[in-house]
Amino acid sequence: MEGTAQTPPVRQELGERVRHIAGREITFDGEGFFWDPHQWSEDVAMALAEEAGLKDLGEAHWAILRFLRGYYFQNGRSPLNRQIKEGTGISLMEMEALFPGGIKYGARRLAGLPNPRNCI
Amino acid sequence: MVSCKKTIYLDNAATAFPKPREVLEEMVEVYSRLGVSPGRGSYDLSMEAEERIMDIRREVCQFFGGSDPERVIFSYNATDGLNMLIQGLTRPHSRVVSSRLEHNSVLRPLHHLNQQGILGLDLIPFGSEGFIDPMAVAEAIRPDTSFVILTHASNVLGTVQPIEQVGAICRERRVPLLLDVTQTAGRLPIHMEAWGVSAVAFTGHKSLLGPTGIGGLVLSPGLDVEPTRFGGTGRDSLSLDHTQVYPQRLEPGTINVAGIFGLSAGLRFISKRGMENIYSKELGLGRRLHDGLNSIRGVWVYPASLHDPWVPIMLCNVDGMDPEDLSSILDGDFGIAARAGLHCAPLVHEDLGTSPKGGVRFSLGPFNTDEDVDQVLEAMVRISRAR
Repeated sequence: MEGTAQTPPVRQELGERVRHIAGREITFDGEGFFWDPHQWSEDVAMALAEEAGLKDLGEAHWAILRFLRGYYFQNGRSPLNRQIKEGTGISLMEMEALFPGGIKYGARRLAGLPNPRNCI
Repeated sequence: MVSCKKTIYLDNAATAFPKPREVLEEMVEVYSRLGVSPGRGSYDLSMEAEERIMDIRREVCQFFGGSDPERVIFSYNATDGLNMLIQGLTRPHSRVVSSRLEHNSVLRPLHHLNQQGILGLDLIPFGSEGFIDPMAVAEAIRPDTSFVILTHASNVLGTVQPIEQVGAICRERRVPLLLDVTQTAGRLPIHMEAWGVSAVAFTGHKSLLGPTGIGGLVLSPGLDVEPTRFGGTGRDSLSLDHTQVYPQRLEPGTINVAGIFGLSAGLRFISKRGMENIYSKELGLGRRLHDGLNSIRGVWVYPASLHDPWVPIMLCNVDGMDPEDLSSILDGDFGIAARAGLHCAPLVHEDLGTSPKGGVRFSLGPFNTDEDVDQVLEAMVRISRAR
């Protein structure tokens, strides 16, 4: 499902940085999102969760992370808000409370998906 | 969760949605008959299209209180028109007065020229209620000031600025006042000549209820804007010099004919319903939403209190919640579309203390209802209680 892809070069001028987590070299963007979703692993997610103050990822956390990743690799983009709710059976309000950092900086980031940049 | 069959759309400050069916139908009908290159040929259809476009220039001119329909310039949107104004009026080594309430459609072109050393920039602040002080404009105007450019209403706070007073100052000081009416056109009467405004920049797809891709400028007779784009205009074609005649001087290339017909249909829709009726309904809903949000513990609303005149746009945040998450929850759990972020007005958020993440903006439109407001307030109560 998660095919191989070459990791793009790090662009420090854009705030990107490389970190070594759970035995992997990972490139993050300036907001801490994965540059390449293939660099993710469950061990990496657990390490990042602990960094964020979440000691254990429970079943609900994993269900959300797996849904986000599965949808991304199947559709080439992150799911819409309503698709997250339908796909996980968990409301966004509950999801926001489950992850330190909330939906975007918690769940989406831990799922190892690229930054869902909106025009703000 | 509230079961939502339809989306409650509260992003009308970005674009009005939905557009009135009458507007879309009229646009398609007229474009089907007259969708040719207007005034570029001697065949009847081209002349008829040009005649219709000229009629619409008259409608637009009258709508904004201008005096010369040939100085109605069509553009893609307000940003496009504002760029034309700013770049076409800037004299090297001069200064421009603007405000910290502006949208990036004004700030970025000014900043760009400022960074290139072409102009100096004097940005006046806004007060805690969201209004600029006309006297601050008077103090900022210097002998080398080329023009003053201001928004009529903040796209974050909805506060309508004291333009008549600023216009009187600019008239007395003989400095052109350029007005961005993006959030007020179609909601409030605008009398550019009477107010001492030398140019208005408008967009067609917000409160004017037309399609995206159409906007424009209305210029007063004393204001000459240098063209910054050049090309075919259908006149003086033998010369390689771009025409100096309005409106073609600022309209190189084929104009957005379908959009112009849609804009006209929007004006007609507003006229039939009555601009005052539309505004007063939106205002009533806006006030109710504002007061309701203000009464919820843990919810912060900007502006904190309302002062007339105001257009129904407000910003809010929930204690400890990322605005993008709040927007996602409103959308995914409650079917409410509202825009999170900085709303292309970074200095407003900087001064409100909501930068860099901004807030969630609610902006009402002509098709919102009491039930919409009830559902938003119910959702916000649930969200804030769950914190």
